Amino acid sequence: MSDQKNVQSTKKTGGKLNAKDLINVGIFTALYLVVMVLCAMLGFIPIFIPLLSVIIPLVDGIVFMLFLTRVKKFGMVLIMGIIISLFYLMGGMGSFMLPIAIVVSLIAEFLLKSGNYQSKKKSIFANGFFSISVFGNFLPIYTSRDAYYQMLASSSYGADYANTLMMCMPDWSAPILFICCFVFGLLGGVLGSSVLKKHFKRAGIA
Amino acid sequence: MPQQILRGAVNNKGGITLDPRTKIFVAFILGVVLLTGGYNGGMAWARPTLTAIPLVLLLSVRKWGAAVGYSLAFLASYFAMTYLMPITSGPLNFLVMIVFGIFLQFLPCIMMFYFVFSTTTVSEFMAAMERMHLTDKITIPMSVMFRFFPTVNEEFGDINDAMRMRGISFGKGNLGAMIEYRLVPMMVCSVRIGEDLAAAALTRGLGAPVKRTNVCSVGFHIQDLIILAVCAACLVAFGEWYVSVHF
Repeated sequence: MSDQKNVQSTKKTGGKLNAKDLINVGIFTALYLVVMVLCAMLGFIPIFIPLLSVIIPLVDGIVFMLFLTRVKKFGMVLIMGIIISLFYLMGGMGSFMLPIAIVVSLIAEFLLKSGNYQSKKKSIFANGFFSISVFGNFLPIYTSRDAYYQMLASSSYGADYANTLMMCMPDWSAPILFICCFVFGLLGGVLGSSVLKKHFKRAGIA
Repeated sequence: MPQQILRGAVNNKGGITLDPRTKIFVAFILGVVLLTGGYNGGMAWARPTLTAIPLVLLLSVRKWGAAVGYSLAFLASYFAMTYLMPITSGPLNFLVMIVFGIFLQFLPCIMMFYFVFSTTTVSEFMAAMERMHLTDKITIPMSVMFRFFPTVNEEFGDINDAMRMRGISFGKGNLGAMIEYRLVPMMVCSVRIGEDLAAAALTRGLGAPVKRTNVCSVGFHIQDLIILAVCAACLVAFGEWYVSVHF
């Protein structure tokens, strides 16, 4: 058991990021992305697209909360946010992701830092803010609806899909989805910390 | 897909080698232009050109099987979309769209990623990223991720088998338990694998406070310039289309 403690990321807070921290970022970013992509598959059915702002923060909250038990230094959440948004960019989700991800990651970072990376409550709020980046995916629909519709309708998704999607995402739904991301991010954080307590603490990895 | 993305060693079979930066740039352009671009204007020729690039690249490294597979899959879904979409309706139409339409949409990007990952080693990737003066705060997590995705896939398959044996699968029991019983073991073993990876990397001096050297020689050649020129032209067409639609 003591050996495993040594291999784990340093328990000290603050200081520069070392290789171990960066490897942890890589692993949890991979996990976060896999879970996110699996959830996003539901989006092939257009009525599930708005629901993604509920599902992704909730399920990825578990991954994120375990990640936060490894975060003891400034910058790890920010790097995760940047890499995730780069993947989104390559997946064709538009260029809004990067600035949004940087802003919400920084908010999460400062929150965690203010709690000295120990506060459970602040971790939950950090997940809430971090989850707002999911909303960045929806932004192209709201900001350039016509262009988005035209692109989608002429693509192999077809006009039916585009029509249904536009119906599911009216303009007034933007603030609702934004709040949904945050609120379900909080709930995801609560869920995550209860899973931590139930499984990971017992297994000695949280 | 090979079990190991971004291998330790790659057998290029004497094909044309591209700089890793070129490959990543092309994959990036493909994703952005094909997945967010439209179909009219300059996009009318940029789209087929970009769709053909993965095929050309696969042929250039003599991956015949993948090249043929890509062509067949693309043609099959293309014809399915052209001929099946108009004659079906309702749920069947929707099914055709899901199966072939989305496949068609993502296929070129998937093949491009396959090309990038199956012909680039981790060392080459790191060397190229270092040449771009990208900080290792981004490159280390990214190379860990590429190394890690296949592992996630493999472990997930094993966990799935185990859970099916216990009778915890879709349709049986509640959704929460289904997710919990898969995600939790997945995360536990990821953390363990991560610790192993970290230990292995530290042994090789990843955390050392010195500038690391790399045996891979990366650099741009004539083949890189040709591919980059084609991509740049497509990017210009995309920009034109973007401006015409948004402004």
